[in-house]
Amino acid sequence: MNKQSAKSPEDAYVIAHADKTVLKISGLTVKGLNDRQLEELLTTQLNSVVRVIGVTASSVDMDIYGIEEDSIQKDADGIIRAVSLAEGITVSELSQIVYAKKVVPVSFDDIPNHLAASCARERWMRNA
Amino acid sequence: MREAVIIPTGDEIRDNIVLDTDSPEIMAQLLRLFPGCLIHRIPPVRDKEEDICAEVERWVQQSVDLIVLIGGSGGGHRFSSTLGKDYTHTAMDRLLEAPVSREIYGKNGHMWCKLICGRRGQSLIINLPGPFVEAQAAFGAFCTAYTNNQENLKAINEAMVAAVMAQYH
Repeated sequence: MNKQSAKSPEDAYVIAHADKTVLKISGLTVKGLNDRQLEELLTTQLNSVVRVIGVTASSVDMDIYGIEEDSIQKDADGIIRAVSLAEGITVSELSQIVYAKKVVPVSFDDIPNHLAASCARERWMRNA
Repeated sequence: MREAVIIPTGDEIRDNIVLDTDSPEIMAQLLRLFPGCLIHRIPPVRDKEEDICAEVERWVQQSVDLIVLIGGSGGGHRFSSTLGKDYTHTAMDRLLEAPVSREIYGKNGHMWCKLICGRRGQSLIINLPGPFVEAQAAFGAFCTAYTNNQENLKAINEAMVAAVMAQYH
């Protein structure tokens, strides 16, 4: 049983109301990536906050704050060029933006019972 | 504080796909506050809840004052199959005797992170998000709150959550 099940929702979670676009770049060779440096390079390129949220040996997932997906697609070459400057990433002609999607808000009022260790979107989708 | 251990987690760190830039930052902040502290940084633990629990338990048995877990604090694989597996917070939920926690969600319903702190045995255990700026900010807030009152876990947790949120507002 979740030890904190008696918590009120206000105590259990907070919502960050930030607009962001999720970006995935594939076709990379990643080894020893300095993700902090990558965030700084892309923050300079896009003039916006960037967070690396997932890395594999061949791809990087990032959150880009405050920029629409169209703008990201238009600047695709510049983004790949900036990525290529990061320590631990090698780009090739196969490197590309696989997707750039603005996040879709969900209604937190519609989320059913709080389940420990799950994701709210997962619970929301179950309820949909 | 006499002794602390930093436990980075994540297959991508363990496999050297991503450099661990968080641990040196946490160590620097700790040393700034407690110059005489003995600090261990152990090899990264894989994203397996059992492995994380076992590593934490090993250090609890040694009665270290502070255990800092890094990474694995979000919705991760539960949200997207391409994201890492996040088990740190579930491991802590299992281990801690009276945990204090708060979750941060994006408006798309993705749990960005769940920050927990609590005690097991003589050890205070906290976790940090993996992204450098969030880990840096959260641990800075921890240091301040801990210095103010190391027994007030709720205040420590609230300060850490506020520090992470401040990175986006």
